[in-house]
Amino acid sequence: MAKSLKIAGIILGVAVVAGAGAFAIGAGGTPLNAPPEKTFPVVDKEGKQVGVYRLPDDTSIPSLPNAELVLYGKRLLNETARLLPNNVGDKLNCNSCHLGEGKVDNGAPYINTVNDFPQFNPRAGRVVSLKERINGCFQRSMNGKPLDPDSREMSAMIAYMDWLRNGVPKGQRVKVVGAGPIDMKLVPDPVRGEKLYAQHCATCHGANGEGMKGADGTFIFPPLWGDESFNIGAGMARLYKAAAFIKFNMPVSVNLDHPVGQGGVLNDQDAVDVAEFFTHQPRPDFAGKVNDWANGKKPKDARY
Amino acid sequence: MKKLAVIIVCGLVALGAAYAVALSTPYWFAPKHDAQVDIHDPQLIARGAYVAHAADCVACHTAPGGKPFAGGLGMQTPLGTIYSTNVTPDSKTGIGAYSYGDFERAVRRGIRPDGTALYPAMPYVSYVVVKDDDIKALYAYFMSDVKAVAQDNKPTTMPWPMSMRWPLSWWQLLFAQPRTFVAQAGADPELVRGAYLVEGLAHCGACHTPRGIAFQEKALANDPAGTYLSGSVLEGWYAKNLRNEARGLSTWTTEELVDFLGTGRTDRTAAFGSMADVVGHSTQHLTKADLTAVAKYLKQLPPRPGHEVAWKPEADTTTAKLLAGDYGAPGAAAYVAHCAACHRMDGRGAPRIFPALKDNSIVFAEDPSSLIQFTLTGGTMAKTPHDVMTFTMPGFANLSNHDVAQILTFIRNSWGNHAEAITEDEVARMRKIIKDKPVNYVPEAHNG
Repeated sequence: MAKSLKIAGIILGVAVVAGAGAFAIGAGGTPLNAPPEKTFPVVDKEGKQVGVYRLPDDTSIPSLPNAELVLYGKRLLNETARLLPNNVGDKLNCNSCHLGEGKVDNGAPYINTVNDFPQFNPRAGRVVSLKERINGCFQRSMNGKPLDPDSREMSAMIAYMDWLRNGVPKGQRVKVVGAGPIDMKLVPDPVRGEKLYAQHCATCHGANGEGMKGADGTFIFPPLWGDESFNIGAGMARLYKAAAFIKFNMPVSVNLDHPVGQGGVLNDQDAVDVAEFFTHQPRPDFAGKVNDWANGKKPKDARY
Repeated sequence: MKKLAVIIVCGLVALGAAYAVALSTPYWFAPKHDAQVDIHDPQLIARGAYVAHAADCVACHTAPGGKPFAGGLGMQTPLGTIYSTNVTPDSKTGIGAYSYGDFERAVRRGIRPDGTALYPAMPYVSYVVVKDDDIKALYAYFMSDVKAVAQDNKPTTMPWPMSMRWPLSWWQLLFAQPRTFVAQAGADPELVRGAYLVEGLAHCGACHTPRGIAFQEKALANDPAGTYLSGSVLEGWYAKNLRNEARGLSTWTTEELVDFLGTGRTDRTAAFGSMADVVGHSTQHLTKADLTAVAKYLKQLPPRPGHEVAWKPEADTTTAKLLAGDYGAPGAAAYVAHCAACHRMDGRGAPRIFPALKDNSIVFAEDPSSLIQFTLTGGTMAKTPHDVMTFTMPGFANLSNHDVAQILTFIRNSWGNHAEAITEDEVARMRKIIKDKPVNYVPEAHNG
């Protein structure tokens, strides 16, 4: 009896240990983690894929040789109105339009920017440098004054964009676009646009396009018209450019997709209608407009 | 050998006796109380619709994408998945053949017409205190105003012997004793109404009260230990502490609670996960008077012994650092990259659009489950007529466990918040819980 008890005890003991072990392995197995990072193809001039692009990680910025400059550039692009009040004439930030810190396909990303310039600019009718292009934004979208091309601020913004290309060499491009396609044959209906604005835009940008300020007085959502918004020289003042932006990027926080749950709510006609409504609200004039499209070929949605 | 035989025989006799007792409970423990109910009385039906909203029947008895009240919602238990049942008045697959007595006993006592016990996933331990008049109205509503749907119930996935229902009768004997609603002596009628709704129809405790080893709620009304509504975790959601203590509701005003329950959001926070469903299906349909009663009742629940009443936020040193470009704190750089565009450098978000992280009681909650799950999966606010737009936070499952843990630890300890750190293991475990969520049952309904 004693012997059989012992055997039973041993069997039970082994079973318990084995069970506990199996449980520990089951519970302790490889912990789940994030799925593989999203990548974009890198293509050469012929459109042939030559590599893959991954967004660089912001937590790696401090280990860069030019860490301070990149970080400063990132801050300037995020908080332009607050940090550069002498150059920004309205209340916008660069990243008001360049969604998600310039990392978003269809949301005016900076990913290819450094590699794309110098670039022929139809509006200017000549090849422009990246510094000139940035200063174009300061005078139009920001309704302000250009930065000194040799300033630390200009270098910092470009350093951030350079970091963002993540080593993709000149002559190659990451397959992302500044703006997605929009049907430019559509005829806008501003009355319908006003209704869509009330439904999909006014909650954040205000019933009168005045934007929304936070407790600290800086803008959470940028003003879309009026004295504190971009002038008529801005790309965003043009119907189809605004419509393309809206279709793919507005509103934000309306779906579960990374990075900001943007877009996918309005179709082409909706976007064209709402763009017609808000771009044609009162906004500052642009003195430099006389020099635009001096060579002709003015687009059909040009404001002047 | 003889001893063993005696033990086996005794065991079998005991088991047989336990089984017999279980089968007999419908006759003596929960006898049927039939009554005449005019199910065509429009006033009664209307009142029943309100009661159904307050009891949030639709939330569990409808699968996402399924027909209203036709059942099929999968509920995860450690033993398998339980599916909610068809409670439409279809006479074959639903409750169309239920007499009032059948209905009353199922709702308040958890016993089917055939005498078998319902799983306590059905909150009959709370509904038992609901008054006769409300149950009668509910019956009239279900029989006359809910559209019949022919949809068979899906059996649980529990394996035998756990799938046997007769032991549930013993569970009921232990944990679901008959009782009636007891109003606190001398209490303000508004608080009494609030208590009645919270304890009974709204069955807040089903999610917000911790459960014991047998899955029983540890308290069904306010108790001296303060266990009632002190917070609990179900399916990876932390149903927060609703007592008036530091990390409970101390940072909420009564008005904010009413706003939250009625519209799904306030200037600084929003309902998400299961609670967004509760607001969407239930609380937004309640009168302001009832919501105020609920809020006032919750606000007077004293803190648990040994727990502080007031939340003491620290000074905000975070905003100034982030505005100055100091992203040196662990998690700060990732916060600025992934979160700050909406939740802002000052952690205040945008009123009724982007919830604040500063002073938000779910951010510094004792149990971080909801915070972790919501960050990974994202989610949508409740839709109510109060706000034109309904916002969604995207899911951040694509961030590494390391980044998620750092960001959440950062927000739990910034802008004056202070709370325990989140570990990578906790994030990994939540990914597993999310992966293992039950699949709901939505068949093609036979007759639409």
